[in-house]
Amino acid sequence: MRKFSLVEFSVNHPRLVVVLSVLITGLFMTQFPKIKTDTNPKHMLPATSDVRVWNNKVEKTFGLYKDVIVVGIRNDKGVLNPATLSSMQRITDRILGLKGVAARDVSSFETIDNVTSEGGTLKVGPLMPHAPKTAGGINDLKKQLFGNPLYLGRIISKDGKTAAIYVPLEEGANGKQIADAIRKIVKEVDGQKGGDEYYIAGDPVARDTFGVEMFKLMAVFAPIAMMVMFLIRYLMFRDLFLSITLMMDAMMSIIWSMGLLIGLGFPVHIMSSMAPVFLMAIATDSMHIFNEFYFRYREKKDKKTAIIETMNAVSRPVRNTALATAAGFAVLMFMHIVPVRIFGGLVAFGTISLRVLSFSFIPAMFTFVKDKNLEKIARSEDIDTGRTARFLKKLAGLGIHKPAATVIIGLLLFATAVAGISKTVVNNNLVEWFKKGSPIRVADTVINRSLGGTSLGYIVAISNKDGYMKSPEALRYIEGLQRDLQKLPVVGKTTSVADYVKQINYVLHGNDPKYYLVPPTEQMIGQYLFLFSMSAKPSDLDNVVDYPFQRANIWVQLKTWNARAMREVIKEVARYKAAHPTPMDFKPAGIAYFNLVWNNEVLWDMVKGFALALIVVFAILAYDFRSVKWAIVGYMPLLFTIVLIYGVIGFSGKDFDMPISVLSTLSLGMAVDFAIHFVSRFRRRLAEKNAGGGRPGKELITESLLWTAARPGKGIMRNAVLFASAFSVMLFAPLTPYVTVGAFIVSMMMLSSLLTMIYLPALVTLFSGWLFDGGK
Amino acid sequence: MKSFILALVIALIPCSAFALSATEIMTKSHEAFYYPGKDFKARMVMKLISAGGQQRIRELTLLRKNFPGDKQKYFIYFFQPADVKDMTFMVYKYPDRDSDRWLYIPALNMVRRIAAQDKRSSFVGSDFSYEDVSGRNVNEDVHTLVREEKLGARDCYVVKSVPKAADVEFSYKLSWVDKASYLPLKEQYYDRRGELLKVFTADEVKTVKGFPTITKRTMKNVQSGHSTVVTFEKTDYNLGLSDSLFSERFMKRPPQQWIE
Repeated sequence: MRKFSLVEFSVNHPRLVVVLSVLITGLFMTQFPKIKTDTNPKHMLPATSDVRVWNNKVEKTFGLYKDVIVVGIRNDKGVLNPATLSSMQRITDRILGLKGVAARDVSSFETIDNVTSEGGTLKVGPLMPHAPKTAGGINDLKKQLFGNPLYLGRIISKDGKTAAIYVPLEEGANGKQIADAIRKIVKEVDGQKGGDEYYIAGDPVARDTFGVEMFKLMAVFAPIAMMVMFLIRYLMFRDLFLSITLMMDAMMSIIWSMGLLIGLGFPVHIMSSMAPVFLMAIATDSMHIFNEFYFRYREKKDKKTAIIETMNAVSRPVRNTALATAAGFAVLMFMHIVPVRIFGGLVAFGTISLRVLSFSFIPAMFTFVKDKNLEKIARSEDIDTGRTARFLKKLAGLGIHKPAATVIIGLLLFATAVAGISKTVVNNNLVEWFKKGSPIRVADTVINRSLGGTSLGYIVAISNKDGYMKSPEALRYIEGLQRDLQKLPVVGKTTSVADYVKQINYVLHGNDPKYYLVPPTEQMIGQYLFLFSMSAKPSDLDNVVDYPFQRANIWVQLKTWNARAMREVIKEVARYKAAHPTPMDFKPAGIAYFNLVWNNEVLWDMVKGFALALIVVFAILAYDFRSVKWAIVGYMPLLFTIVLIYGVIGFSGKDFDMPISVLSTLSLGMAVDFAIHFVSRFRRRLAEKNAGGGRPGKELITESLLWTAARPGKGIMRNAVLFASAFSVMLFAPLTPYVTVGAFIVSMMMLSSLLTMIYLPALVTLFSGWLFDGGK
Repeated sequence: MKSFILALVIALIPCSAFALSATEIMTKSHEAFYYPGKDFKARMVMKLISAGGQQRIRELTLLRKNFPGDKQKYFIYFFQPADVKDMTFMVYKYPDRDSDRWLYIPALNMVRRIAAQDKRSSFVGSDFSYEDVSGRNVNEDVHTLVREEKLGARDCYVVKSVPKAADVEFSYKLSWVDKASYLPLKEQYYDRRGELLKVFTADEVKTVKGFPTITKRTMKNVQSGHSTVVTFEKTDYNLGLSDSLFSERFMKRPPQQWIE
């Protein structure tokens, strides 16, 4: 009974315990200045992961960039006018001067290479060395732009209303900072006049903006949630001192665990930045101590005795809910992805800290409360006459008096939800983590509507023969594959070495459309490519074919950041290869492919961890109740909550994405708690009343269930309301994963508390024969 | 003739002696680097090395002949890559206007004139630009002598050259010019942000028929990691190349004796 002595010790030496708690907190706080943050959500996959290694290799082979920002310029009257072109040029010039921009490979009207033929002379140079000022100059530019398939859909839209500048970033540059710098340039150059609109899109912008915004939101929403909780607690207990105590309890555990994380030298990743909110959620469990304490105080009228008796009564469920939660998160430490592991460890540690505080700091603080105040509050905590208590009894009564109907309705809901789950779409879309009207979403939509697409994937064609990519056979195959891929609605544009060869063939034959094809001999292809390397930026050729001409890189621009878009492309490539045999192999790469793998790995790692945690939690329930039967019953609210929520997600057509998979683990921490409290207290009550032992009678069971619903049930409802209201604040967050967090937690709290209050009593009533068989 | 003009220029603009002497150094360097002899021949092997260490080889014979009025004609015959064998490239270089260029494409048996709008663009995919191969007009930059220092064992002038035009990819260039031979032993190109972009180094200098000649050189793009190493074999001067060699006719059928 060590826990017991900790409580007694704390009650006898309250000052010491409080001072010690504050000191330890101070100690962990000293680590905070060392904080390092990592806002890149993609760092969830380690640098050694297959996809990162492979992508690096592909980038090196073809001289590609990890990150490219797309600047879209739109004018409803068309962008090909002197004013727009001249501001585009000034803006491009300024972009080239930005730090972190790979200036040598920026693609825009001003920098892109252009090979044309005029009266037997090959003209080589940038497409638009200077913005044209005359109608003739504009017409000439139009002819160049629309006459070159390489430009169409890439730097100019078919309708001439949208143009694009592709800004590759140097390794390690921050997409948000550069996007901000470009926005500033647009403002300074006064780009947005005469109907010109500038849009900045691309994965690095979304990713780095998200990272920064997420940290900011954490800093805003965590305190707001805390304040709301504080306020509601105050309304519940009417005691400022105790409300502060509860808040301090959560704060301390957050400081302890974050301090430990920072002290151990881990960077605070966006995943661990969510830990404080999770811990705040878990901390609400101490509500049960308060709830019980006021009941006891009313009965005993002695503070010290009330505290110790309270802790006696609730210690087991409080300890076990903590154990279940901690174990649920600790399981994540055995997962594959490092930030997931850190997150699991962090929350598990925080949960244990919380419980230590519940048995020391909280009882110690109780001793400082004036008896007069306590009496005032305790008077309202009457089990028979309280309005809440009556309502709760009615709620439980639904289940107790019509158990069969309740259970059947539950099962029907469950079955429907399972059908919904089967409709789940696994997908992830970084851009959709921003709300519809946000600049990032708008930019992406506008650019994707008229150009080839802001998301980029590669299909690398690999042969085992040097020089194979110069053969007409290889180029024709690639051409056919491109034509096939372009039929997919998600694919906006593809570009390969075949396109360059065709363009050169066409130009060398005096712009005769008949020659816009792959030439018949290897020698011709070789010489065209050489000519191309003499006339364009060397990187243009490097981007599409490797040095020994053994590998070719097909660029696939996608119109959406949906992870599944790349999956479709990969599937189509496999299908095409199966239908058209070739000695070449095809492997996907690029940011779109990375997003697909990243999403899958993190998501399935979380799902696996979650499944494992579910088993562990069940085992803990069985151990806690010393009964598999009771564990099954106690497990039901958790299981139903999860299934119902995911059923709704499946029906609503919302993607099962990474944020949702992360949230699943939270439900472990919360949804099972209520059942543990309910079952523990119910069985304790039953044992107290059934002094003679043996099989309890039906009336006794009903009476005990009603008592449990009214007394610990009040704690459960308080906990649920507190929690749901604090997190409903998040429904107003500007990032959709936060809205999801809010909606998820609110519905989870409501569902699991209702299930505990209605469904558990129904199950207990209906299966009392089975449950109490043999006394256990 | 050249030095006469130079003397005239010096006499006419007697101010800012420091800047003038820098221009003088660069003019002499230009002469020593691009104009020695009546004509010149070299078999060049270019190694294009990607950041990832992959290599591409370009092998060619370069013939140059000086003409009055600082005009030059270049004739280039390609041996490698194998599929461009017999391709030839010809340049007429004028001191005061854009060069004329022609390319012979054997697969089409066709000579095409090439109008290049960008002299700074890459020469056959290497890190050298056309200008790096045939020389950048000294008048296009403003030169200042920054300091004099030793580079290895050689005494050098360090000259800073800032392009007068805004549309050049470098904002300035530092050249280490050997005081004895006037050859540039090192050059650093800085991009428009002022960050180091490319570095040229003369890795080997040999005296051929009395003319100090850079026989091995490297241009490294420090931003992309790409580099090009050029070695000169069979270097020779004053061979007596005929004027008629630099014609469209010989592009299609280059005389073996000159290109081998």
